[in-house]
Amino acid sequence: MAFPLSFWDITIWLVATTITLLITAELISPYYGRTNLLIDKKRLRKAVLVMEILFLIIIAIRIYGITIAP
Amino acid sequence: MQNQRIVRKRKRELSLTVGYVLLLLGLTALVFSILFTLSVLALVGLGITFWGSLLLFIKPVRYVKSSLLDSTTLSLLTTINQVIEESNSKGKAIYLPPKHLEEIRSGKVFISYEKGSSVPPPENVAEEKVFSKNPKGMCFTPPGVALVNLFEDLLGTSFTKVEVNYLQDKLPRLFIEDLEIAEDLEINVKGSNIHLRIVGSTYRNLCKQARNLSNICGSLGCPLCSSFACALARATGKPIIIEKTEPSEDGETVEAYYRVIQE
Repeated sequence: MAFPLSFWDITIWLVATTITLLITAELISPYYGRTNLLIDKKRLRKAVLVMEILFLIIIAIRIYGITIAP
Repeated sequence: MQNQRIVRKRKRELSLTVGYVLLLLGLTALVFSILFTLSVLALVGLGITFWGSLLLFIKPVRYVKSSLLDSTTLSLLTTINQVIEESNSKGKAIYLPPKHLEEIRSGKVFISYEKGSSVPPPENVAEEKVFSKNPKGMCFTPPGVALVNLFEDLLGTSFTKVEVNYLQDKLPRLFIEDLEIAEDLEINVKGSNIHLRIVGSTYRNLCKQARNLSNICGSLGCPLCSSFACALARATGKPIIIEKTEPSEDGETVEAYYRVIQE
């Protein structure tokens, strides 16, 4: 029994999710009361920020893997 | 009204239910993917778990209906209006700058018994008396002081340390995105005249009702107009008068005109 996904599988998933989330957070209406979906916009932005940081860390690891590591 | 409340409650409950269901489904998929070593199921499980927990994380905080806000404030404004009417005050409300106050975060508005815009000397205001003799009038805490203190807390600054330009830059974002009390806000400065345009304010119903209170709308101002007058008094360091407030026919837009009194 092992987790069936490798680090790079999770990376691809994370990249796709981050981009989707980023677009959602940016396109969401800035006005109150104009949406039927009840969400806390500020919390969504915080979640996006965390995901973006993870995304950038992964990119850095990838670049390191290609350029520096043997 | 009752139906709206039920619909809103259902929506909130639905968001929560969907969040929990997604979380449960995702975790189950993850467990099965580990048990049977299925990578596709693991990806699906990871996705569903993520969106489920995100939905639970971004669920809205507790909101208060604006009608409740209006009902709480209106009776207080009516009381102030009655007091002003009883005192036969003819002058306009003058928002006093911090130099007239003992504490910067407090606020004072002076209403003269006679027409004109004579400002009481700071020492008279500092005595904390409601009824002033020189010049004759009354001095009390305006309805927007607590609101302007909240603005300062959220912006992390004191308006006494900033210029009017700062208010022009920061207040629209604060009103629209942070406090969500308006859909749009514009501040235009022309010399000593300042024009404020508020679109889709949460106080619009209160404004509609306050229009019947002659001393509130156009002189003292509703809490929102009053808070901006307090902010201007702090930023300019000079007394401020609300010249007039003009609500649009549908009540969506309120335009308020302020004037800085040159001492």
